[in-house]
Amino acid sequence: MSSYIEGILMLSGINLIAVLGLSLLTGFAGLFSFGHAGFMAIGAYSAAVCTKLLGLPFVAAIAAAALVAAGVSWLIGRATLKLKGDYFCIATLGFGEAIRLILDNFQGLGGARGWPGIPPRTTLLNILILDVIGVVLLANLVRSRHGRNMIAVREEELAAKVAGIDTFRYKMLALVISAAYAGVAGALLGHYMTFIQPKMFSMVKSTELTIIVIFGGLGSISGSVLGAVVLTFLPELLRAVDKWRLVVYGLAVIGIMIGRPRGLMGGFELTPKSIRAHFARRREERAIKAGRAAEDGDEALSGEADGKGGL
Amino acid sequence: MAQFLQQMVNGLSIGSVYALMAVGYSLVYSIMNFSNFAHGGVIMFGAYFGFFAMTLLKLPFVASFALAFVGTAVLAVVIERVAYKPLRERSAPFLYFIISAMGASIFLENIIIATIGPTFRTYPDVFGRTSISLGSVSIGRLDLIMFVISAVCLTGLVLFIDKTKMGRAIQASAYNMKAAALMGVNTDRVVMIVFALGGMLAGIAGVFFGMKYTVYPQIGNITTKSFVAAVFGGLGSLPGAVLGSVLLGVIETLVAGYLSSQFRDLIAFVILIGVLVFRPTGIMGKTTEDKA
Amino acid sequence: MSDILQVRGLTKRFGGLAAVNDVDFDVREGGISGLIGPNGAGKTTIFNLITGVYKVSSGTVSFGGRDITDLEPHRIAGLGVTRTFQNIRLFKNLTVFENVLTACHASASYGLADSLLRLPRFRREEKAIMDKADGLLEILGLSDRKDAIANGLPYGLQRRLEITRALALDPKLLLLDEPAAGMNPDETEQLMRLIGEIRDRFKLSVLVIEHHMDLVMGLCERIVVLNFGQKLADGVPDAIRGDQRVVEAYLGGGDK
Repeated sequence: MSSYIEGILMLSGINLIAVLGLSLLTGFAGLFSFGHAGFMAIGAYSAAVCTKLLGLPFVAAIAAAALVAAGVSWLIGRATLKLKGDYFCIATLGFGEAIRLILDNFQGLGGARGWPGIPPRTTLLNILILDVIGVVLLANLVRSRHGRNMIAVREEELAAKVAGIDTFRYKMLALVISAAYAGVAGALLGHYMTFIQPKMFSMVKSTELTIIVIFGGLGSISGSVLGAVVLTFLPELLRAVDKWRLVVYGLAVIGIMIGRPRGLMGGFELTPKSIRAHFARRREERAIKAGRAAEDGDEALSGEADGKGGL
Repeated sequence: MAQFLQQMVNGLSIGSVYALMAVGYSLVYSIMNFSNFAHGGVIMFGAYFGFFAMTLLKLPFVASFALAFVGTAVLAVVIERVAYKPLRERSAPFLYFIISAMGASIFLENIIIATIGPTFRTYPDVFGRTSISLGSVSIGRLDLIMFVISAVCLTGLVLFIDKTKMGRAIQASAYNMKAAALMGVNTDRVVMIVFALGGMLAGIAGVFFGMKYTVYPQIGNITTKSFVAAVFGGLGSLPGAVLGSVLLGVIETLVAGYLSSQFRDLIAFVILIGVLVFRPTGIMGKTTEDKA
Repeated sequence: MSDILQVRGLTKRFGGLAAVNDVDFDVREGGISGLIGPNGAGKTTIFNLITGVYKVSSGTVSFGGRDITDLEPHRIAGLGVTRTFQNIRLFKNLTVFENVLTACHASASYGLADSLLRLPRFRREEKAIMDKADGLLEILGLSDRKDAIANGLPYGLQRRLEITRALALDPKLLLLDEPAAGMNPDETEQLMRLIGEIRDRFKLSVLVIEHHMDLVMGLCERIVVLNFGQKLADGVPDAIRGDQRVVEAYLGGGDK
């Protein structure tokens, strides 16, 4: 494998970990973050401190990155998750910018010019191992009562509450886990690049992660995996028209929200069982639609019903 | 003392432009109940409209200014029609609106980068660099004009909302969109007018930021401060947005003057954290319960 | 029979307006009680106060002898009080089965680690709650729609699914907010029977808000009448039917 391809593979594997976390937060729990790159930054810098300054092993550095990012997210969650959704969005926006500004001015860690000389510990193998662990844990989580409770918060928060779900706790859980994933991704990125700089973790990076989650489909893990790989490779293939890439992405994001809110994968997981169930459901939906046409026009026209369940 | 007064004057001037942004954002928030994160893109377009009207079309300041805010009013309405209206019509969840706003924001920023380029551009010097002295305090001409025009616009907005029929329709819709619709208010029109007003204020703010600093594709990021200002004043309250903005402008200038200019941008986030932790409803906000 | 729910001096003010003003009533254990009154009388607000969705301005709500005033909604639900909504609130994009399964969460107690690592406890309890969800769907006659998306169900079945989801919590008190809204007389008739069956089968108490007088009079053992946020009358159906104030409120002659 050429080192060029290997490099892109490694980057998409690193992106994938951050995307998985964000997928849990946005796709499953329905919370929107503008500052996820901030958690990556925290992970990257904490891990670099561990290996470069403290001489700790890489595994410990990754664990520390996850813990510190999770801890910071917990603080943000405590302040905002009981309030309306807008407060959380604005807080993450502020957080992402503030982390960058703080690191810019923190000369001990290189300041705005960046921090070089981080040991190159990230390999394709350890990325792959963490990717697999990340996917398995997330898939297990979302198909448990804890994951279902998060989905319930996304679907209808008030109904979730009266069904006995502590919505604050589950939003917090989603946030903390997703921040831990971002922290791990940051640690891997720093030890792959061997150089970190605050502006690598700007809002543009956060936006990019969110775009991948949306393209892959809100609430689809396999979509996130596919999205992370495709959208990391795509810019490399489309170098010539790169400046138009984000223009198209912007329009596509709006288009997806309007037309196919569950993303290109449509909330559909690629497992043999799901494929069979999918076709059965399609037949059923057609039958119901035919039967429903006469009654209750309003509900049938709500559009949500058309935007899901299809490939 | 003189220095303090000087800082206050500078702070008021920049705070009044923050208020233009924050009021536009809060106005949309009060009607639609979601944070229009594409507001920054509209501000950025305002800066470019004004810039090109002056440099390419060689229009005088007043005409360029008018062109900019009419342009952004139209742009804001178009964004609403394309990115939000379809979601409104099927009562899509809050999350979809925010994501759609993010899409619009990415599109606006990058279409400028792709067509005009990422370079920084400087507005022609319209008002000169001389300042007006009032005792020991001197006010830059631009700062003074910024303050006066912002104050006039905000007063005009208040009058519009208080005195006109459409203004009352806006108030009714902000209170309860569904009830307003039942009372015969054309809520779709209200939404359009609100976006047009917000867009207009954004365009004016954009021109001012362009003149005070420079014009570049990421200038819209400055709206982050208007979100902070809106939360500071009380999310959804227009007087709160004005108060929060002016206070933020003054505090920023004081911090830059007395502490360090590096903390200037950070202080907004310190305020944000403080408000969220100690008084999430902001200065003017009242505790509201979501109606189930 | 003792009272499972006691509401005393319950008051809720929005701004200066009292939506609910000093209301007292009880719900008997194992009974079906009705809450009726003209539009805007404060019926749904009372549900929101009992279930903790709104904060109480003054007064108390106690359930099974325990003060539940202003507990968080999920705690109140955990104690055994749950409800349906006037404007149905399902987990729209989930299947019928997933809607019910989600609400079964409290019947399982496996932790986060159990689910992340799929430990034996996870498998065991997950199997149990899936069986429970299946059982409920069977009883409520939704088994054949198990894999349909909730949002795609006909209106009547959506209401039925919402009730099924509420039953998944093993409630002791079920609050139904206009369960017959939008139903034709046949469906209403069916629903009445269903509510009665549910009460007997699950041994719970029911408090129902309803506009359909036939349904309320036929179903409820006790009725509370509200008007302008205040209690107007309280008693057995026959007493309510004959109550002059109630007749006036309903016929619009209340200004004498």
